[in-house]
Amino acid sequence: MSPTLAFRNTPFREKTAWAMAAILIGGAAFYLNLVISASRALGQTAPPLIGFVIAYVVVIVIASVVLMSALAAISPSEANAPADEREKVIGDKAGNWAGYVMVVPALGALWHYAVNMDGNMLFHLVFLSLMLGQVAEYIFQIVLYRRGS
Amino acid sequence: MAKPPPITNRLRELREQHGGLSQSALAESIGVTRQTIIAIELGKYSPSLESAFRIARVFGVDVESVFGWQGPPRG
Repeated sequence: MSPTLAFRNTPFREKTAWAMAAILIGGAAFYLNLVISASRALGQTAPPLIGFVIAYVVVIVIASVVLMSALAAISPSEANAPADEREKVIGDKAGNWAGYVMVVPALGALWHYAVNMDGNMLFHLVFLSLMLGQVAEYIFQIVLYRRGS
Repeated sequence: MAKPPPITNRLRELREQHGGLSQSALAESIGVTRQTIIAIELGKYSPSLESAFRIARVFGVDVESVFGWQGPPRG
């Protein structure tokens, strides 16, 4: 199957899941790199980068709106249609599984704080857990769309 | 790999019997996406009871003429 045909046959919501997963993975990698670099420079865990977190959220929202608009322009009828029963099931399952993915590192962050009393690390780990949960949700959606159910 | 649901279907056969009704046309008439029709045909997704009835109505047959049970017998 040619890439063009494969793209056309991919459900709209799977395309948006790919786009969102890519944006969020990029954002998470950037954040992680920033925290590691700042921590190395300081010789200790970098304090919460509140300005960056706000900018990150704004950039993610803008990037997702731009990408969704571009995808919707390619297939407007699919974009306007509400999720059908299978897509709702996929969304529910992916959200449910992503919740577990988010909880594990969040609990690890709490355990790390209880042992080391490093509040800065707690902030970064919880923020990364949230990002990981979102990435996992989109990845699970992609897997379920590919699997058929 | 997830175990496929124990439900068989004659969707493809019925579409062909009805003048080669396309997956898109069937999807549109019952209010789902074409990918959902493909998933049902391949036995990867079991439709809701409502969609099963809607599909049967499109072909003018009863639900059991479209879908069958392949799981273990009752009892």
